[in-house]
Amino acid sequence: MKTDSFRLRRVFAITSVAFLFTLAISPAKNYFREYRSIQEQFRKLGASRAHSLKDAKTYQNRPVAISQIWLRDFGNRVDRCTTCHQGVADPAMANAPEPHRLHPWTAHTPGDSDRMGCTSCHSGEGLATVRGDAHGTTADSSSPLTPLANIEAGCGRCHTSEAVPQAALLSRGRALITKAGCYACHSVRGHEQFRSEAPPLNSVAVKTGGEWVRQWLKNPRAMDPNSSMPNFQLDTQQIEELTHYLFSRPVNPELAAKVAAASQEAPGDAVSGKKIFSESRCITCHTVEGKGNGSAPELSKVASMASRGWLLAFIRDPHAFSPETRMPRYHFSDSESRDLVAYFETELKDFDAPEGILDPLHVNQTLAEKGAKAFRGLGCFACHDPAQGTIKEKFGPDLNGLGDKRAASLDFGRRTDLARTLPAWTAAKLMDPRSFSAGLKMPNYGFKNEDVQAIVTALLSLGSKPVPEAYHPVSHGTSAPIPGGAIGQLVQQYRCLSCHQIGTQGGDISTAPLTFEGSKVKRDWLVNYLMLSFTIRPILEERMPIFRIPKDEAEKLADAIESFYVNPAIPEDPFAGRPASDQNASEGQRLYVANGCRACHIIGPSGGYYGPPLTDTSTRLKPGWVFKWLKDPQAWRADVRCPNYGLTDTDALRITAYLETLRAPGAQKSSGGKG
Amino acid sequence: MNIPSLDSLGRWFRGTSVYRSIVRHGVAETSRNRSLIVFENLFLHVHPVKVREKALRFKHTYWLGGITMVCVIVLVASGVPLMFYYHPSVPQAYQDMKELKYVVDNGVFLRNLHRWGAHLMVFGAFLHMLRVFYHGAYQPPRQFNWVVGVVLLVLTLFLSYTGYLLPWDQLAFWGVSVGTNMAREAPVIGDKLRFFLLGGNAVSENALLRFYVLHCVLLPVVLFLFLGVHIWRIRKDGGVKGPSEEAPDAFHEEEP
Amino acid sequence: MSALPPLTAVESNDPVETPRRVALLRPDLRPSVRRSSEKFVMAYPHLIIREVILFQIVVIFLAILALVFNAPLEGIANPVETPNPAKAPWYFLGLQELLHYYPPIVAGVLIPGLVVVALAVIPYARINLSAGPLWEGKDEKRTTQILAVAASALVLFFAGFQCWAAAVPTAAVAGAMYLARGGSTGGTWRQAMARLSLPQWIMTWFVILAAALTIIGTFFRGPGWSFIWPWTHMVQS
Repeated sequence: MKTDSFRLRRVFAITSVAFLFTLAISPAKNYFREYRSIQEQFRKLGASRAHSLKDAKTYQNRPVAISQIWLRDFGNRVDRCTTCHQGVADPAMANAPEPHRLHPWTAHTPGDSDRMGCTSCHSGEGLATVRGDAHGTTADSSSPLTPLANIEAGCGRCHTSEAVPQAALLSRGRALITKAGCYACHSVRGHEQFRSEAPPLNSVAVKTGGEWVRQWLKNPRAMDPNSSMPNFQLDTQQIEELTHYLFSRPVNPELAAKVAAASQEAPGDAVSGKKIFSESRCITCHTVEGKGNGSAPELSKVASMASRGWLLAFIRDPHAFSPETRMPRYHFSDSESRDLVAYFETELKDFDAPEGILDPLHVNQTLAEKGAKAFRGLGCFACHDPAQGTIKEKFGPDLNGLGDKRAASLDFGRRTDLARTLPAWTAAKLMDPRSFSAGLKMPNYGFKNEDVQAIVTALLSLGSKPVPEAYHPVSHGTSAPIPGGAIGQLVQQYRCLSCHQIGTQGGDISTAPLTFEGSKVKRDWLVNYLMLSFTIRPILEERMPIFRIPKDEAEKLADAIESFYVNPAIPEDPFAGRPASDQNASEGQRLYVANGCRACHIIGPSGGYYGPPLTDTSTRLKPGWVFKWLKDPQAWRADVRCPNYGLTDTDALRITAYLETLRAPGAQKSSGGKG
Repeated sequence: MNIPSLDSLGRWFRGTSVYRSIVRHGVAETSRNRSLIVFENLFLHVHPVKVREKALRFKHTYWLGGITMVCVIVLVASGVPLMFYYHPSVPQAYQDMKELKYVVDNGVFLRNLHRWGAHLMVFGAFLHMLRVFYHGAYQPPRQFNWVVGVVLLVLTLFLSYTGYLLPWDQLAFWGVSVGTNMAREAPVIGDKLRFFLLGGNAVSENALLRFYVLHCVLLPVVLFLFLGVHIWRIRKDGGVKGPSEEAPDAFHEEEP
Repeated sequence: MSALPPLTAVESNDPVETPRRVALLRPDLRPSVRRSSEKFVMAYPHLIIREVILFQIVVIFLAILALVFNAPLEGIANPVETPNPAKAPWYFLGLQELLHYYPPIVAGVLIPGLVVVALAVIPYARINLSAGPLWEGKDEKRTTQILAVAASALVLFFAGFQCWAAAVPTAAVAGAMYLARGGSTGGTWRQAMARLSLPQWIMTWFVILAAALTIIGTFFRGPGWSFIWPWTHMVQS
């Protein structure tokens, strides 16, 4: 009894000590949390970098505490990133080691840090005070940090569906998405109205031959490197079925008649056609053997791609064949277009093409019916037959909210080689969409590596929750409407928007947005330019094509631009009623030279080639615009290279006055003979 | 100055009128005082003054009921602090789980303790039931206590299940969705029962609130009522009963 | 201050030695006194200290568990994103496993209801109170017949629904019951088995079944409730 009791007491003593010890472990762990030592490091680092004893004391006396940014507007969230990243807003911490480093300057840092916090741009778990959780490196984390390579995805959370000048990768990604036509199959907020440029397939039978279609379906890029059609990796059977189906589709009788009539015409003069081809600057959009802009088909084999009659009819009225094409309608005469096609047939032809590549196909109905099924099953209709695509459901999965998908919810299928992260998954989907499992339908776009990074960035910007109203970017009054009526028809006919931007719409081939063109150039100059456009910026390869616009149309367009596309902020007359000569133009000339404008601009015989020549400024540009430009060149387009010299009003006016005195040598009237 | 020994200090303390007003018995050196310790203490007086020595052996009960009871104490002790940090609302409930990890001192420890304690309680209660069955400890006069035990097992499962929803994560949501979908299959009352449990037709914020109240108030109160009866009954039915084959050897009859 | 005078404690419970109770008996009854040779000990400290030690050990065990393993926490509840498979807590996975084979009314209502009722009535069933070892003093042939019929009916019931997780243990337990026949002369295991009464056999069968179903439901079920190996998870993540 005694010994038993003694043994029991000994056990009791041991368990009591163990009990107290185990219960003390958690508080101890709590005390040695990682952020405490990081804050300790920061205090030491700050003190060592401080310039005064007082500053050093301030660093040393910082309390150890969790610090957080309260984001009222974002659903009452908090970001505790600054608990460890204490130096993000501390200029003394420039170039300090992480996590103490100062945040690099951006348009929103440090200005908007308190308003936006950290996670609204960078993602990550704002609540976390533990590294792995905060950065989302732990498995199945709800919100991992956006990788540095795709960091601009954060910009796109607020700047939805628009180009962001300071986020080049994001903007490029978005442009690539539009160009590749992703929105045809995938729905993304803000792109519901997307229409593919792909031609409606209602005149295949009169355009080309069965063999050509087979080769095209096998690999479109092999036939035309500029093609935006992806490779559907079809097998021979599918190719055969689809080809028969395409030739079985009824041909629009109007188009058939046009092509038939054109094919009866006598051949033109190839030499003259070659001249017209280069004069019209077709390679501003097309390429010939790779030379040219590349936003429109490669033409070096065009005569082996479509029949003569179709080419003629198409050049005369491209919009009848392909309503969404970016190609403008030129004012070629009947004989001019014949000459162009004659040139195509003598020089721009695939001399290695098999015999009869353009021979029509004898349709096999069984194959055609199977092909019709394949056409639907493969999603061809999404681009080529938007009318059939009016079904509410898009062909592919909805991409909204993709950027907030948890990696755990993604289907990696066979791809065991990938990192289990959303960016890696998205990139692999873009590089090789069918590698995940059998039966996937997304075709191969053949994106290059850097394109994939850009598109991943753009896709990661598609958040699941819309940002609060107050964080929607302020658009800079750039929503300029396209006028309707006769003017609208002209804008359509010449496809101004294929190259120029108007407001947020339009292409990026031209460097001159038309949004405020009316405030920029003088009407008479504009009329002449439209009728016979010439090179404004010598360094650019893409030049405005010559559409052969008749004078009355050019005047209508110029008048419309003068009345629609003006900016009220640009004064009509910056000199306030006084003649330009009242300003000190010679001082302006001195400033022009002193600021080094000559490095980029030509006046008279000398100057650089980067900017437009300024010799005929007074005939081309309105002084009000010149003045405003000089004050802040980047106000018009963020990517303008012209430096902002921070000129005063007086100096800017003086340079404006100097430029206003310049006259093109041919148009010299009463100039002071300067420049 | 004389430093008083620990022993004399203890004696002095036990002699003070304050101590004597709280503890009426003397030092546990005599059997009388040892008895007094048990029956003068609210928390100990469910014990008899004397117990069979056999009942103290490990193989007698494997201490399974005791383990389950300790779990109850641990769960209350960790659950009450957790209640200070918890809001039964969507999505705050989930945020609170994160806050426990990121901000609350020892928050993770408390949550882990509560979670594993709950699992151990279910497991312990089940093993306890098996032990009682195989030892035949449900036989008269312990029939009713067995039934109370079954009720306690069901209550334990309900407690664990209602607590399962509270973190409001995917695991909780779908675990409870699957479970309540089974309840729906009950004839006639199935749908109504599920609606009553969830406060709606699906697992939602209403369900979270109901489960919270059940988990923190209603079920614990009921559990403690039955637990009181259960423990009281152990004593009234003659203490814990071990392996049944011991009984015939332990007694022998004798003429007076 | 004086301590209370100590009482001479009576350490014996022997009713013959120290009679403490007076009982009145009818003359036609033969009074007898049960003498217990059992040793009794004071609850304090012998029981109380053991309870405190138990408390400390369990708390230490749980605290170490809590320090080493974190309670799971997945993403925030999302009614749209159904995990595959969606699993109930582990103690209900046996039922969920049954749900895979049987209509919900059977697996979700009937079986759990029956189990609870069966557990509750255990102490009131005559067989539970009076049953001796299964094969002791019975017509072995008849018992074998009953056993064969009952076991094959149950196995068929499970096998008919392809519920092998229940059918195989049922068959195994029935086999063990048959093997226990005349086992009192066998080895330790057979002796132990021979001692089991019918209720104990049934309980054993229930426990094995519940454990098998729960283990399969917990570790061997993957997307679409398909059978997977437990280590398949590890390869995936």
